[in-house]
Amino acid sequence: MSGNPMDVLAVAIPFLPVLSAVVIFLFARHRRSASARTSVGVTFLVFVLALAELGGYLVSGTPQDVTIGVDWGSLWIDPLSLIMWAFVSGISLLVHIYSVRYMVEEPGYPRFFALLDLMTATILFMVSAADLLTLLAAWFLVGVLLYFLLGHDTDRPAAGRYAFWTQITYRFGDLPLWMAAALLGETYHSLSLPVIFSRIQMAPAVHTLWGIPVLEVVGFLVALAAFARSAQFLLHGWLPYTMDGPTPVSALMHAGIVNAGGFLFNRFAPVFEHAGDVLHLAFLVGLVTAITGSALMLIQNDVKRSLGYSTMGQMGFMVMECGVGAFPLAVFHLIAHGFFKASLFLSAGNVIGDARRQDGVPADPVYTSVVERRPRRPSRLPWMVAAALTILVPITVLALSHFFVAAHAFYEQGVLILLFFGWVTGAQALFAAHKMTRTNPWRLMGGILVSFVLIVVGYTLISHYFGNFLYPGGRGERLYKAASLGSFPFAALMLVLALLFVGGWALTFFADTLDLWGSLGARWRGTYLVLYASLSRELYINDLYARLSQILISASRRLNIWLRWC
Amino acid sequence: MNLVLFLLSGVFLPLFPLSWLFNRLVASAPGGWAKALSILVLPQLGVLLLWASGPWFSGISNPWHGLVAALALCTAILYAFRAISVREITIWARFMATSGLALAWLQVLAGVSVAQVQLSLLAWSIPGALLCLWAGELARRMGGAYIGLSGGVARVLPRLSALLATGALAATATPVFPGFFALLKTMGTLPAGWILFLLPVLFLWGWSIGRFLQDLLFGVYRGTAVEDLGTAGTWAGALVLVVFAITGLFFWGATWTVS
Repeated sequence: MSGNPMDVLAVAIPFLPVLSAVVIFLFARHRRSASARTSVGVTFLVFVLALAELGGYLVSGTPQDVTIGVDWGSLWIDPLSLIMWAFVSGISLLVHIYSVRYMVEEPGYPRFFALLDLMTATILFMVSAADLLTLLAAWFLVGVLLYFLLGHDTDRPAAGRYAFWTQITYRFGDLPLWMAAALLGETYHSLSLPVIFSRIQMAPAVHTLWGIPVLEVVGFLVALAAFARSAQFLLHGWLPYTMDGPTPVSALMHAGIVNAGGFLFNRFAPVFEHAGDVLHLAFLVGLVTAITGSALMLIQNDVKRSLGYSTMGQMGFMVMECGVGAFPLAVFHLIAHGFFKASLFLSAGNVIGDARRQDGVPADPVYTSVVERRPRRPSRLPWMVAAALTILVPITVLALSHFFVAAHAFYEQGVLILLFFGWVTGAQALFAAHKMTRTNPWRLMGGILVSFVLIVVGYTLISHYFGNFLYPGGRGERLYKAASLGSFPFAALMLVLALLFVGGWALTFFADTLDLWGSLGARWRGTYLVLYASLSRELYINDLYARLSQILISASRRLNIWLRWC
Repeated sequence: MNLVLFLLSGVFLPLFPLSWLFNRLVASAPGGWAKALSILVLPQLGVLLLWASGPWFSGISNPWHGLVAALALCTAILYAFRAISVREITIWARFMATSGLALAWLQVLAGVSVAQVQLSLLAWSIPGALLCLWAGELARRMGGAYIGLSGGVARVLPRLSALLATGALAATATPVFPGFFALLKTMGTLPAGWILFLLPVLFLWGWSIGRFLQDLLFGVYRGTAVEDLGTAGTWAGALVLVVFAITGLFFWGATWTVS
């Protein structure tokens, strides 16, 4: 480590929360107020230092490797670490401040703050680890600490049960990362991530394992670890049940920890530049997760559970972004989603309280006219106008905004797919606006259009500049290229998606006029009920895992009896 | 003679089915201290016996090496699998120690030095020994070291529970304890294909510690009032664990694994 003051600050950032936890344990474990003040104060300091480091980098523009004395335990202060430090410490500070009053009547108040500090430190180490050992140790420890945070209320067996679900899924996800670390260490003869990545750049296609390029195998393993951490389909069962932990932990979990998958993709971006097939798999897994998470979210009647499935859907989108090669966009997504979801979780209690007093459900037009007998003159835009706006406006805005930022981006398939999804999302928003009956529909549609333009232009600009910040020197384009498909499958994919979405719109447009729901409903009622029952039981995935674990535990018990417990 | 020494080393440095005898020996030791001592001493004796049988052992051909390595991995998996249904802490500690100690065979086969193998054994023996000691304390207070029967032990015995939970974490290769680095060291000695068979051990340990903590910490205690571990005993236990962790972090982690 050099004597540069910024280096000293950089090393202090992940260690300060550890120091806070030790101080609380040794001197303040029976002093509730002092423990909270120490913890919040140190987290605030960490946040300020993280911002200072980020500012320092923006001014100087040079990344640095800071090593703490020994061969492992090294930190990599690159743009990704700096942005993640600022994000993690920011979320952690919010959660700390919220917990001061929220947890005040809970037993184990100082322990809770000490654990929060340790968790913050571990995540800070994880996002800035410059070697495989540190990364692996921190990745592993996050699961352990999360178990104790989620199970803070030991009087409730349910808290322990769901903390265990999280812990075991995390452990399952740890295994591929161990394997990936072993393969990288063995192949490139180093534990240092910068060294490994530079050797990959020098000779990407030299090494194979069982006839498969090593980087494809490593990419697949890293993606699996990211899937487990970010609750992708089949490894998602634990996520909605983390609500049984204290609300601040749910916020930290859904705003920060669950995003680790997106971070891992970005950290191993040099591997994914040579693992295109894995990126295609990630796109598929993300797509299935996004659809399943959103479907499950829609049928929940519990606010926090609904937020949990919303997180699953968002994680699906984040992994999809990685799958199309838009790695920086995934980081931007995880930051935006983190702050947004933290605010939702931390205000969920107030919303529930308000809803008990006043449901806030907007008046239904039918109810207004039939029950309240208030005359209305509901009107909509002509549907041809609405359809034209729905289809043309989003694509025009998206295309123009991208054209002005980076015209060459149109040649990247990933950008086209993102444009496509942006188009679909924008079209849906406009379509939903069209279905609302208002006395002045033009005003409503105008408002939606202005909001849409502002969001899209802002998002495009931010993603572009953010991409240049994280991946300078054209590395971002290499990731897009790695994620590209052949021209025929890509065209076919776009066509199928376009037909699906246009078909969906048409169905919704004509459903009322042709009484489609009446005729289809009678024919498909059985299927609908089966689908609804499956979704309400969360596709029976948790039941399946529970049954499987019962069988294995029973087998273990029989074996022990047979071997007389020796 | 060398074969006899080799078989004896298979008892003390547990290798299935001889590991059954190791467990029988530890189980028959009277009291927590004797059990702890046997978990610490017997594996070290096993290594010394193995080295005493050196000429015979180094003389066997490579296919036999593969067989012994496979048996060591199977032993580790078997005992980790058996530990997931155990609720008695002493048995759990024995099984976890057996599972970890069996992995030392992989280091022996890779030609790791005697001193390093002995250190590696301590990474598994020390947590097992500590758990046996604290299980004895629990049994003295509650009539048995069974967890999950009454529930909520952590609320009535917070100090002892904290030590047990931390000791169990140390026994299951949690960073920053030496077991984590010993496992990495073992992984470093294996070819890529073999690592796939080591990973289930790690998963089963994770499952096992999850169930252990669930049974130990959660629920509402409905038994009679019991006295927790004294301050001196708690600090002594915590000190041993802290020294163990620091040794893992700065000795095993910094020099041993990286080298």
